[in-house]
Amino acid sequence: MAQVNCPRCAAPIELDSGNKFAKCSYCGSMIFFDRTGAGFYYAIPFKLSQNDAVGTFRRWAGGSTKAKDLDRLASITSVKKKYFPVYLFRRDVNGREEVYVKPAGSTILPGLHQLKVPGGDLKIFDGNFDTNGAELVKPDIEMTHYLDNLPGKGKEQALVYFPIWTIDYTFNGASYQVVVDASSSEVFATSFPTRSSAAYLLVAVAGFFAFLVLGFVATVYLVPALILMALTVVAVFFISLTVARRL
Amino acid sequence: MGDITVGLNCPACGGAITIAEGESVVNCQYCGSTLYAEGDKGVQTIAFKNKLDERTAIGAAQAWWGKGFKARDLKRTGAVTECYPIYIPFWDIRTRVAGWVCGYEERTRSDSKGNTKTERIYKEEMVLMDLAYSEIACDPGDLGLRSLRNFSGESTFEDLDMIPTFESTTSRDDADAHARSDAIARGRSSAHVPHITFENLHALVKRTSMIYYPIWVVRYTYQDRMYLLTVDGVTGQVLSGRAPGDPLFQSLAVTAGTSIGGLAAAGGVLFTINTGSEFGIAGVILGFIILGATYVFFRHGSEIIQGDFADRKKGPDMRQLGNIGKMIGGAYR
Repeated sequence: MAQVNCPRCAAPIELDSGNKFAKCSYCGSMIFFDRTGAGFYYAIPFKLSQNDAVGTFRRWAGGSTKAKDLDRLASITSVKKKYFPVYLFRRDVNGREEVYVKPAGSTILPGLHQLKVPGGDLKIFDGNFDTNGAELVKPDIEMTHYLDNLPGKGKEQALVYFPIWTIDYTFNGASYQVVVDASSSEVFATSFPTRSSAAYLLVAVAGFFAFLVLGFVATVYLVPALILMALTVVAVFFISLTVARRL
Repeated sequence: MGDITVGLNCPACGGAITIAEGESVVNCQYCGSTLYAEGDKGVQTIAFKNKLDERTAIGAAQAWWGKGFKARDLKRTGAVTECYPIYIPFWDIRTRVAGWVCGYEERTRSDSKGNTKTERIYKEEMVLMDLAYSEIACDPGDLGLRSLRNFSGESTFEDLDMIPTFESTTSRDDADAHARSDAIARGRSSAHVPHITFENLHALVKRTSMIYYPIWVVRYTYQDRMYLLTVDGVTGQVLSGRAPGDPLFQSLAVTAGTSIGGLAAAGGVLFTINTGSEFGIAGVILGFIILGATYVFFRHGSEIIQGDFADRKKGPDMRQLGNIGKMIGGAYR
């Protein structure tokens, strides 16, 4: 935990990311942290282990819009643990508080140009912070580059390292990449193998019109129509079960 | 780094002042002066006491596995790998909306001879309501949470140091603006005026505070996949989560949907032909709504989602399906 000194009695006070006020435990003074002029470094701890990240990827890959069995058929070629830097600016623009999130590193990783500070427990990032073997992506854009151009007055500015797992995988000969946010488990991907809705739509629409027609037939030939309806129920059930399992 | 701290002391007597975040008026405890704090005074913050332990959170998760159309073997093969509490910040904004909404309602009646008559009923409604609005104050990620359902709980800061706390990263003024537009929209809909010709509604923010709400995150695995769900740390209910679906339920749904929907549509068309009444169209519309809803479940039911997720598949637009139904039903008239 980072420390600052009490301006009244010089005793050390712990500085945490979320607090604006603190009480000195030695002299009892109320201290206000004026963050307007300083730049802070924060990092969000990893909540997902490598296995969790791969499992989260498999959960995502098993989703209904992804290619069938992508979770089982995707072959993972690399998994990397990284800290990706973004700037978080809190500014006073004509009396309104505005939050700006800007990239601190140039990247082509999926999701990271949507730019956000994911939900997480912001920790002060200093020499004592344990990155647990994650690669620190170096910020290659200066904070001052943004400070000169943003509107209003600064209330707080920070560089936030957010924890990600990047997973490369191949499916049917093509390579893809996803990023798993290691704090809140969100999965980012720009492209992925998709699943066609055609078979699902066909079963539903064909079944619907079959019953519609049989409904008309039933007014003329009741018994044959009822038998056909029973057969259609069985057919729709098995075809749809096959579609849901295999396509 | 010493220059980022400002010691607060009474300008009259020099005594140390105790002021809570979010308050602007305070009395000096030494000389009794009434002081006004200006500038960045922060937001009044409360934290709710966590009422669950790991066992009850996992119990809630396991009970949730058995509900609804989730994979039938989830209760047997699902395994909780991790369960921990976090504090998540929410903006809690109390607003008042007041004003007038004027307009009219149209009622169309048709008698047995097929003559239709449209009547306009003019309305002038007063709106005066106090509302509560909440929104998550950080990025929700894949937690499936956007707003609070429960605003009451025992307030304490005891656990705030022990439980990981997600930091607020959104703007208070943005949250206030969302609360005001939410208040106007809710005020407008409370007036029940279908065609609005004039409105004058004002929303004011009465109080903005931040609630740190305890949420239990439960991670579990099912067939090598890792899922996540959240449990309310005050009420013990499952708030959001993803779970594997079951192909059997998907095919049962589409079988029921196509048969009931198709027969309802057929019945509606036949009724319209036989009686010439418009009520038959309702059957056609109903048939399409049933078909649409079951199709969405058939197509996307391989994952069951509860909560406010960005990729949640919504059911079909009822009005759109209704219009298709009207077209088909109308063609037989």
